[in-house]
Amino acid sequence: MNSKTLFYILKRILLAVFTVWVVITITFFVMHAVPGGPFVGEKATTPAVQAAMEAKYGLDKPLHEQYFTYLGDIVTKFDFGPSLKQRGRMVIDIISDGMKTSMALGLIAAGVSTLFGVTLGAVAALRRNKLIDRIIMVITTAFVSMPSFIMGSLLLALFAIQLRLLPANGSTPAGLVLPIITLALYPMAYITRLTRSSMLDVLGQDYIRTAKAKGVSGARIIFGHALKNSLIPVLTYIGPMLAYIVTGSLVVEQIFAVPGIGRAFVSSITNRDYPMIMGTTIILSALIVIMNLVTDILYKVVDPRITLE
Amino acid sequence: MKFKRVIAASLAGVMALGLAACGGNNGSSSAPAKDGASEAAKTDGPKEISVCIASEPDTIDPALNSAVDGATLLAHLFSGLAKWEQKDGKLEIVADAAKELVEGKENADGTVTYTYTLRDGLKWSDGKDVTAKDFEFSWQRAASTALAADYGYMFEVIDGYDKVWETNDKGEYVNPDAKLNVKAVDDKTLEVTLKNSVAYWNELLAFPAYFPVREDVVASEKWATDPKTYICNGPYTLDKWEHNSLITLKKNPNYPDADKVTMETINFYLSDDANNMLSNFKNGDWLLIDDVPTNEIATLKTQYPDEFFNVGQIGTYYVCWNINENILPADSTLTGAEAEKAKAEIRNAVSLLLDRNYIVNDIAQGGQLPASSFVAMGLTDADGSQFYQNTGVSDKFDGYFDPSSEALQSNFDSAIETLKKYYKYDEASKKFTNFPSMTYLYNTSEGHKAIGEYIQSALAGVGITMNLENQEWATFLNTRKKGDFTIARNGWLADYNDPISFLDMWTTASGNNDVQFGKGDHAALKNYSLDLTDLGYETKVENGTWAETFDVLISDIKSCTDKDKRYKLMHRAEDMLMATGCLTPLYYYTDLYMLNKNVKGFFSNPLGYKYFMYCTIEG
Repeated sequence: MNSKTLFYILKRILLAVFTVWVVITITFFVMHAVPGGPFVGEKATTPAVQAAMEAKYGLDKPLHEQYFTYLGDIVTKFDFGPSLKQRGRMVIDIISDGMKTSMALGLIAAGVSTLFGVTLGAVAALRRNKLIDRIIMVITTAFVSMPSFIMGSLLLALFAIQLRLLPANGSTPAGLVLPIITLALYPMAYITRLTRSSMLDVLGQDYIRTAKAKGVSGARIIFGHALKNSLIPVLTYIGPMLAYIVTGSLVVEQIFAVPGIGRAFVSSITNRDYPMIMGTTIILSALIVIMNLVTDILYKVVDPRITLE
Repeated sequence: MKFKRVIAASLAGVMALGLAACGGNNGSSSAPAKDGASEAAKTDGPKEISVCIASEPDTIDPALNSAVDGATLLAHLFSGLAKWEQKDGKLEIVADAAKELVEGKENADGTVTYTYTLRDGLKWSDGKDVTAKDFEFSWQRAASTALAADYGYMFEVIDGYDKVWETNDKGEYVNPDAKLNVKAVDDKTLEVTLKNSVAYWNELLAFPAYFPVREDVVASEKWATDPKTYICNGPYTLDKWEHNSLITLKKNPNYPDADKVTMETINFYLSDDANNMLSNFKNGDWLLIDDVPTNEIATLKTQYPDEFFNVGQIGTYYVCWNINENILPADSTLTGAEAEKAKAEIRNAVSLLLDRNYIVNDIAQGGQLPASSFVAMGLTDADGSQFYQNTGVSDKFDGYFDPSSEALQSNFDSAIETLKKYYKYDEASKKFTNFPSMTYLYNTSEGHKAIGEYIQSALAGVGITMNLENQEWATFLNTRKKGDFTIARNGWLADYNDPISFLDMWTTASGNNDVQFGKGDHAALKNYSLDLTDLGYETKVENGTWAETFDVLISDIKSCTDKDKRYKLMHRAEDMLMATGCLTPLYYYTDLYMLNKNVKGFFSNPLGYKYFMYCTIEG
């Protein structure tokens, strides 16, 4: 790695920190501008109780003071504070609980979808316009166009209620099978189509023809030249997909009652659980920024023609 | 051709998948065993039950909890002086940690002192003795300003509470050392003095806020989030808590009545998605679910007649009007008290235009009952009869008007006649032409929306334009509390079986006074009269403000020690409220749940708490 690349990475990291700071600032002020508060419920507490709670969590202080205190705690102590809703629990604990599940779910789904997607895509490209290609294309079109809440509900109704093969809630390892499938089908279908078209493109290139003319074996052409080069567009897709998929899918987590970060994020907003909203926003935005950075660096590894600057 | 066949085959496949999925299964064969342990339990007569009542509880610290799902968990984990029990199909409050529920002794100053003796052999789950000191500590803690618990006010009946919460002009507490009048005389004896006799005192003793906790245990706020530090004294202990996923309770061998507890393990799965709950109920994994998707209610009722339940709950779904909003025609010359009298008459007339039977049978569909009073069905009167049946308005119906289908036309006609006094009516189109348009505010939900749309169409039928506006929950609460609305959806569930829980919320200073009684322009409006001389009070006000009448009435009720008189006063208070027309009751709430028919010994109380300790599973 040369100094130019290092400088580029450093620049990107600084930019990432800046991005996260902007996200923190915007979220903080917008969140406080939204009407309603964490201690408001159907049954009102007395103003004295309300005031006591606000004082306890420092919400009685001026907004800018709260902002700087918060930033200070994050930077110096990595302290996200306590949840205002789940009494006695720290935001970081709630997030790490949720992230563990969402990460496991997301990483498996991403792995499954990449593995099957690339394989199916390659098969389809090599058997272009044959029956197998058409079957793959029909199925992937269906999966790409079917929203996850329909796919999830269908799988749930079939495997959990009708056949009773798998549990309907995602709190056990067996219960994660259906959410993983639901989560994996769309990216798998997308990767299949992407791999197929990219592979077809590569297979038509001159250097493949040259290799063929030189008598290189079919397997070597495919694995040594075609597949590797056709993965660049796929990689472009996998990076952001990974970020998206591991940060929790609200829809899938809701349908299968998976205790992931997506559900926690949405409920924190409904509850006006300020520290929880901030915590999840920071972690999720940081993850996405990091994933994008990693993807950019990986381009360079896969395709030396790309320069990072 | 080949391609088409492939598409056809694929389509057929997808359709088959869909049809199979839609088929549904009415059978209730037992759940597939997930692991060896539960398999063993099943062959030995199942001693484990899996249920879902709600998502992750906000807290399971008895003093901090203010939710029904939290209360259900706490009722299994703690043993207060009293508890709810079902005997021969009837619910009652019986002694639990106390030897008996004693009568109070009235003191010379009108306060009432209760002396309880604790049962022998009471233990915490870590083996230490439960003492009267623990109760004293817990109650002082739960009512303290330091804890500032939502349900701290549940202790307001105890002497000393007012001192604890007394503040000066700056909002500072004046008596930092003040305490409730509760004392542990010795390890076994607890003495508590109430401000006056309280009809629902025993019920309060069974309320989670009154459950005991131990001082050394609760020193860290985290104690109630981890099974390792969660020390309790009830029928169960907290065995496992996978946050946002599962709470497992195991039978507590230290509980004195452990031999009566039949269920060894209770799994409370944590989910708030009604569709997911239903899936788990249908496949037999969860034997009770406390919520069902609204649009499935009608189907479920017929598909699962033995397993679909709706039981009475002490609550009312209603529409509230902002008393300060003008609804008179633009050219009206009425002002002050006269205008308010007219508005009250108009609001009550609009209420009569609504078909509550249609709302409960065709929209809500949950077995709710049409409401004709604000104090809900299920709250009892002095003689044990239903409070709402004794409003004294008519012998022909209960409540303040006749909500039956038969009376629909006559209600409608009388409403039109009343409204004609104030608005222009076009006889040809049978519509009012100068009723100002109004906005109905509700929180985002399909159910509330459907009811809003019905009211909109019912009013449109007589020429009244009502727009609908929905807001997200926390925003909605804020808007409604501030009074930024004309009409808003509202609902109230009581915390205890006493009508005062529906009445004291409408005092000027109450945080739940969404109608804005006694606030804004209404503060100075001298429109109300109150004469309590026939009940032996000196209170007699002619044309007074809300604060001079209703607020006084509520404080009289709170200090009244004569049961009969107290209930008469409460009827007066409801009369006053209903006369304003600001509360338009629609239906009395019911609690919907699904319970597998193999489960026996289950019960729930009117507050919605569910009890699984005495359950057995057959088949």
